[in-house]
Amino acid sequence: MAESNHWQLIPLGEFERPDAPASTVIQRTWSHIRKLFIAEADDNANPDEQDFPHYREFELEPAVAAVNAAWQDNDDPPAVRFVVSPPFSGSGAILREWAKQNDYQQLTPPTVEQLETADTDVWWQAQECERWLLDEFSSFWLRTTDHMQFMRALLPRLLRGELGSGVVVIDSWTFAFLKRAWPLSLPHCYCFAAATPELLKQSGIVGSEKRLKNLAARSRGNLGVALALWAIQQDEQRSLPHLPSEAGDATAFILYSLLLHHGLRGEDLQRVLPMLAPDQLDVQLLRLQQNAVIELDDDRVWRITVYAYVEVREFLAARGYWLDEF
Amino acid sequence: MDTDKILGLFREITTAVLIEIGLVFAVATAIVVSSQRVLPWLAEHLHGKQRLFALAMVPTIRVIVFIIAFLWVVPLVIEPSMQNMVAILGAAGLAIGFALKDYVSSLIAGIVAVYELPYRPGDWIEVEGTYGEVKHIGMRAIEIVTPDDTVVFVPHLKLWSTLIFNANNGGPSLMCVVDFYLHPEHDANRVKHLLEDVALTSPYVQLAKPILVIAKEEPWGTHYRLKAYPIDPRQQFQFMTDLTARGKDCLRALPVRFAQLSPEHAVQTGPY
Repeated sequence: MAESNHWQLIPLGEFERPDAPASTVIQRTWSHIRKLFIAEADDNANPDEQDFPHYREFELEPAVAAVNAAWQDNDDPPAVRFVVSPPFSGSGAILREWAKQNDYQQLTPPTVEQLETADTDVWWQAQECERWLLDEFSSFWLRTTDHMQFMRALLPRLLRGELGSGVVVIDSWTFAFLKRAWPLSLPHCYCFAAATPELLKQSGIVGSEKRLKNLAARSRGNLGVALALWAIQQDEQRSLPHLPSEAGDATAFILYSLLLHHGLRGEDLQRVLPMLAPDQLDVQLLRLQQNAVIELDDDRVWRITVYAYVEVREFLAARGYWLDEF
Repeated sequence: MDTDKILGLFREITTAVLIEIGLVFAVATAIVVSSQRVLPWLAEHLHGKQRLFALAMVPTIRVIVFIIAFLWVVPLVIEPSMQNMVAILGAAGLAIGFALKDYVSSLIAGIVAVYELPYRPGDWIEVEGTYGEVKHIGMRAIEIVTPDDTVVFVPHLKLWSTLIFNANNGGPSLMCVVDFYLHPEHDANRVKHLLEDVALTSPYVQLAKPILVIAKEEPWGTHYRLKAYPIDPRQQFQFMTDLTARGKDCLRALPVRFAQLSPEHAVQTGPY
């Protein structure tokens, strides 16, 4: 199995996004130009009626083996390792499985009260353990001044090793934001290497080498996104969702907040975007939901759909937003 | 100078020449008019640098088309020798210099503005106390729209003698400054860090740019200036409102008291 496993956990600095072939770059540029001039044509589709296929989840075991392979030789492991996870890459699920196999305890996130008082002691005392996994690092806090205090109190303690030995799974968008918000760069950061045509084949995607290369480039090396794009390609009746033509500043604020926090409940969105009136926020959310750009999960958390992620990222990039590195 | 000599400067104007001049004029006008319509429309669909580049192309294209049309038409009318050119253009220049001095000065300043770039469409400028976004750069004047949605026409002539304040200078970065006036009894470092976080947690803030807080002690209290950049210069007023509203909430919760200024100590800030 070791020979055919194309999963790789690498230091973050070694991550390289797969390049798209020249023909794909030209096609993409042409598609951008067309979108500028015939944006109205896309609105004719009724995405609400589209039944998007649930993209098949990949096997976790080979990825867990890659984590073991990357960390097993380290005789003097650092206190805390950070695994940077692009949205839909499945890194959280992989590390949860890895933690289960290696007896790492999953930490519960701090309560709202602990966050607002920046009380890391009370939070830690309730669950003290030797080896732990914090997999909800992106979703437990909000981009508010009081929660920022908690993060500033927590990060130095993590790095000093005061909280024992652990692994933090952090979304790539949160990581990019924290890099800006906190002056010290985080050490011992890892991520999964970009999906290659070989990894796509290993995950069950069938196609020519060129097609797989295109898919890897289009998904920016993100296996979860690649699987979703591939699922859409299998059915000619379906197309990827598009942002509504009315998408403006408020839309961008919502989409960025959802990416930064790995999804948010409606009331939390209102807290991080207080300048949007509640009815304005509702209209925006419903419109994005109708266009299948976001979805409401069983826990009443709004999330960006995997099918819309590539377009959402391009939308934010065109507006000059601070993006993740993936 | 007798009539024969003057007529000798010009070429014979035939019907074909008239048609050619008409065609050059029509094509030049069509290019300029369509660039003035298409590029701003395109810019509305773009953001950041791409938007500003599309807008900046409008006056550049007009000047290039104007020069090409001029160089095309003049040899059709005037016998193209150095002596003739100097005579005709010199006489024309003298007449214009007396009759239409300011108008021509504005036209020339308009051409200079295309190269010196003191303002471009999409820039936020202040000229003689009037602040607004440059919406259009014409041959003689620029149109700026103030935050109160009033269009102000500023002749290019101002370029020669007036200070022009450009807030974003052709880029998407425009610094906003928000003032807070606090009672002197407080922890200044805590307030400074809090105000930095207020900017950092604003959805409008451009994270790629620095955030700065400056404090100055005054007889009535402490004056804080929070400096940060919005993602888009067009969001500057919403950004400043957001910083003010959330900044006040956070300072009250700290708690910090606000300074009570008597009218004689009221601080004169910038116009916006």
